[in-house]
Amino acid sequence: MHMSVLEERKASISDMNEHGRGICCERESVSGAVSQRACVYCGARVVLNPITDAYHIVHGPIGCASYTWDIRGSLTSGASTYRNSFSTDLRETDIVFGGEKKLSAAIDELMEKAEPAPKLIFVYATCIAGVIGDDIEAVCRAAAKKYGIRVIPVKAPGFSGTKPQGYKLACDAIMALILPGINQSKRFGVNILGDYNLAGETWIIRSYLEEIGIPVISTITGDASYEKLMRAPTAVLNLVQCAGSSTYLAERMYSEMDIPYIKVSFFGIEDTTASLFRVADALGKPEISAKARELAKRRTSEVVPVIEKYKPSLEGKRAAIFVGGGFKAISLIRQFNELGMKTVVAGTQTGKKDEYEIISALADGEAVILDDANPAELERFMLEKQADILVGGVKERPLAYKLGIAFCDHNHERKHPLAGFEGIENFVREVHTTINSPVWKYVKEGPAWAQI
Amino acid sequence: MGANLVNLNVNPCKMCMPMGAVSALCGIKGCMSILHGSQGCATYIRRHMATHYNEPVDIASSSLTEEGTVFGGEANLLKGLRNLIDLYAPEAIGVCTTCLAETIGEDVGAIVKKFYEQNPGTGVKIIHVAAPGYGGTQNEGWFAAIRAVLEQTEQSTAPNGKINVITPMISPADTRWLKDLLNGAGMDFILLPDLSDNLDGVTEKRYNRLKTGGTSLSDIAKMAGARLTVEFSEFTDEKASPAAYLYETYRVPYVKLPLPVGVRGMDQLLTTLEDAGGAVTVDMIKARGRYLDAMVDSHKYCAKARAAVFGEPDFVTAVIRLCCENGILPLLAATGSVSPRLKELLDAEFEDYKDFYPAEEMAILDDSDFDEIERYCRQLGVNLLIGSSDGRRIAHKLDIPLIRCAFPIHDYVGGQRVRMLGFEGSLNLLDQSANCMLEKTETGFRGALYDRFFKTRPAPPADIHAKTASHPCFGEHACKNARVHLPVAPKCNIQCNYCLRNFDCMNESRPGVASKILTPAEALERYMKLKESMPNLTVVGIAGPGDALANFEETRETLRLIREYDADITFCIATNGLMLPMYVPELKKLGVSHVTVTVNAVDPSVGAKIYQHINYMGKTYTGTEGASILLANQLAGIKMLADADIMCKVNCVALKGINDSHIFEVTKQAAALGAFMTNIMPHIPVRGSSFEALDRMTNMEIKAIREVCGVNIKQMAHCRQCRSDAAGTLDEDISIHLREKPASETRPYKRFAVATKSGAIVDIHFGHAKEFYIFESDGEDTRFVETRKVSRYCNGLECDDKEDRWESVIGAVADCEAVLALRIGLVPEKRLKENGIDAIATYERVETAVTLAARERSAMNGIA
Repeated sequence: MHMSVLEERKASISDMNEHGRGICCERESVSGAVSQRACVYCGARVVLNPITDAYHIVHGPIGCASYTWDIRGSLTSGASTYRNSFSTDLRETDIVFGGEKKLSAAIDELMEKAEPAPKLIFVYATCIAGVIGDDIEAVCRAAAKKYGIRVIPVKAPGFSGTKPQGYKLACDAIMALILPGINQSKRFGVNILGDYNLAGETWIIRSYLEEIGIPVISTITGDASYEKLMRAPTAVLNLVQCAGSSTYLAERMYSEMDIPYIKVSFFGIEDTTASLFRVADALGKPEISAKARELAKRRTSEVVPVIEKYKPSLEGKRAAIFVGGGFKAISLIRQFNELGMKTVVAGTQTGKKDEYEIISALADGEAVILDDANPAELERFMLEKQADILVGGVKERPLAYKLGIAFCDHNHERKHPLAGFEGIENFVREVHTTINSPVWKYVKEGPAWAQI
Repeated sequence: MGANLVNLNVNPCKMCMPMGAVSALCGIKGCMSILHGSQGCATYIRRHMATHYNEPVDIASSSLTEEGTVFGGEANLLKGLRNLIDLYAPEAIGVCTTCLAETIGEDVGAIVKKFYEQNPGTGVKIIHVAAPGYGGTQNEGWFAAIRAVLEQTEQSTAPNGKINVITPMISPADTRWLKDLLNGAGMDFILLPDLSDNLDGVTEKRYNRLKTGGTSLSDIAKMAGARLTVEFSEFTDEKASPAAYLYETYRVPYVKLPLPVGVRGMDQLLTTLEDAGGAVTVDMIKARGRYLDAMVDSHKYCAKARAAVFGEPDFVTAVIRLCCENGILPLLAATGSVSPRLKELLDAEFEDYKDFYPAEEMAILDDSDFDEIERYCRQLGVNLLIGSSDGRRIAHKLDIPLIRCAFPIHDYVGGQRVRMLGFEGSLNLLDQSANCMLEKTETGFRGALYDRFFKTRPAPPADIHAKTASHPCFGEHACKNARVHLPVAPKCNIQCNYCLRNFDCMNESRPGVASKILTPAEALERYMKLKESMPNLTVVGIAGPGDALANFEETRETLRLIREYDADITFCIATNGLMLPMYVPELKKLGVSHVTVTVNAVDPSVGAKIYQHINYMGKTYTGTEGASILLANQLAGIKMLADADIMCKVNCVALKGINDSHIFEVTKQAAALGAFMTNIMPHIPVRGSSFEALDRMTNMEIKAIREVCGVNIKQMAHCRQCRSDAAGTLDEDISIHLREKPASETRPYKRFAVATKSGAIVDIHFGHAKEFYIFESDGEDTRFVETRKVSRYCNGLECDDKEDRWESVIGAVADCEAVLALRIGLVPEKRLKENGIDAIATYERVETAVTLAARERSAMNGIA
């Protein structure tokens, strides 16, 4: 009979190792364990993807381009170029003779024929481009010179680390792009870093800031464009929404462009309110601080009744969480706590040690905490801890359903905002809709003859 | 795009070999797959499949890293195989290579051999499939996996009388249908692969992570002893075809059939089965009859269809043939695979039907992408797409219906239940095609014929009366409906003696006043926000604070933006009428249905007393000259409004001793020019204006004038004289809530330093903090001050020294009462204490933690 937890994995699961809740994390995935993680290329691609008027060329065989084509819910107010997939679609002969020529020719063709005319191209090197030794930096340099546009190489072979390394590569690419704009004069306004405008979330945050009198200069990278990105160096402050992917960029902008940054979070009432106050206070204008407080008060009073309406049907329910980063897990545990729910399973793909410490403290006393979990472990612990709902990515959804467990989509493909005050309503409503759906009754009950 | 690039694939109409290989392996009983490559391949493929099939899809990865790539991935793969066995206890494991493993030259056969040597007695059958991503598409990967399974299974050649059935990638539901058909025909068969249960499972009491369906290894081992192989593919060559392999190696005869779609496809299959000793049952014949009957029923609707079909070659060929049989014009056949044979087969097919489609060209593309497909769809006038959901972007862009019946389907549910095989499946496709055409006709033909043959002039909007009835000002019984006035028009082109426009008076409520001017974009935002909270909002008005038409650019842009967002909302504007004749046609175009014109006099000598001056066409006019120009334009404008079917209300400000005896004339003229109603309202004396000393007329006096004028024209009796940024119903103006409040007063605050990584929570050890978030709090209000980098407080040249580091940390927080961190060591705590700084350990939200800390300290100090 099969087991549910590999010996080697026990160190990453609370109460199955000698350290109790101090689990092992930030390690390479275990071969054959069916990790839910993606790769370096994925990390770089998702951070840069929302730059709407860029041509994102995936240099490699077709698969990587095919599986990342327009799969994320980042919205645009301008160009839709980013929703296309461009790939050099390398074949057997290219592998043998090298793909540099094809890449050059591909850029030539884009410059000659593509509408709208490219101003910015990102070239991603995937596993194979790395292994066959294509010098994509040289190709990009030559193309930039030839056409007088920006062509930025992103060397992201999948095997060269984990997804967070890809984030870092993307941040470096953005810095390479905007550094030439460093000498513009400053304006009163902020940049939003690390929000990807999933279901318009950047727009929501931006609307709050503008309402309280804070102009938003550039958004990196939700609904970004070349022109807007180039204005980023003029901001007086950077706001970092997704710390995991963008702190590194903020740090570089601080040391190289002297733009200070503060971290913010717009998930849940408390985080949203605190972040609004913090941004307003940071800019040192009392009238803005006052407006921030007024806005938060008004919007909170609108949202609280919605939460109160659903709370009775959610109190005491048991949640399992398996998401990408540690901060999202923490934020979710808190939101569940506020709804009177318990978190009984909590895991992430790439959480850090400190984050797990907080997760342990916040989650239910009997909760199991696990890093880089696989389907077998999720199955075992969700059943063992009698979870009522799983929050996770699309791959986990069918598993939850098969186990008779409700599911909340908190991933990058969703089409409903979960940030800001609008997002709180969506979240509570979704959790209610799935946990209390009438379908579970029919799945769990039925005449004796119908049981398989 | 539509640029047709040669060196660049734009929007791929294909996936990679590993995808096809692992899909096929899902149809083998007790089989798990591991992809030998980097972690991303497995994760992306799982996501792609899970979203289509709505089933858990567990695929392992050998998770190759930099080291594995340089020194070989043998150790990773050996460990991965052991782990997979531990976790799933599979009967078989398919090891599929990827781009990476193939390029670094992994000898998977040797690694598998080594695994058997190291792990004797596992009893697990390991099959390796060479599947470089650049070697072909999912179609090639699918057949490569089936062939590898056959090649690596020890076969029993003893004749068993069975027939082998091999399919390309078909849906689980179609697979179930195929099994039912073969059973119904009384065939003893081995189907390879069989996805029917594994990728379309049932809800069970106990979940089995190792799926229990699929073709068993023991059945596969008997395939060499079968009497016939039926392979549903016209595109596998001898090197790739599993049937050809069984013939070459074991002399099992084979037939290759097209997918059983349409009359010919199904007839070929049934004939083959009959020849092989199977029974064509009455049910099958009836199904055929029903399909033919339906073809006849639908043929005229289908004749309107101009189809583009895209996907794998066998799928495309089968669907194009179905189109041809039914009179659906097949304009485009496209595949992402390299397949010159597609053109051969379909050219022949089209030749057979060319009499029915005179003068039509069909495009057949292989190695294509969606950019090219889109270009052809535009050129050829395609009106029906058939394929995977990857065609949805073209469908949305060109407004063409898409029938989703191939992998992957990501935007609809039911990918696992697609039915297109057999008479029933074909009928499903046929019905969907015919219904797409019927839907198109049904929704469009009335308007199209009306536009073409009846429409001679733009018709007046049919809903003008409904709009009037729901307008809180024009309609008498619409008091429950709300309106919003958007203050986008600051400038005015006349100066009335009773008016002084002033933007910042919070408590004033009268026309011409607004707290803040909005840009058109802000106006749209305000509207959207209000509309959400106020479903009874029926009217958007622009009433200044200046004159709507003196700021026509802003007015036009605002209305245009809102119309884009909301097609139904009633537009209303208010004006003094000076620019009205110039803009009536544009107002009509913008969809303005209601206009209020303020006419205080119809005699220039009376007007001269009311209007100080007017600015018209760049010149200022005063006295009767100014009043005459204004009057002429007002009257012409009102007439033009009436002719354009725009409801016009005439407002008249009653000014005691100036025009009160003249108002009867005003209303009479308004009626004669076609105005809908007049609104006589008392003047509100405003300090600083010329008429500040003029007495306001009493309600009784106004009522009396209205009664007299009622003989001329309908009178508005419910005016609230609203502000130009009013919002809500007439009786409940909520605009005050939209405005800003002044900042509260400052209180004594204490400073706190917070160690945080996420920024939201106190989530980092004191010793690890590279920066601190500084706050001020009085225990209730907490304000952010700044972030401080520890490194910037370093005195020495190097900050590596531990002692220097402490100095800089303390420097960074020197002015704070306390430091908040996830944890803090005893030594640093002591150092802080020495400097009069407390240390607090917490994992609260940042702002909450600071507020609590400040509150506690106030309590301790006895201040609270």
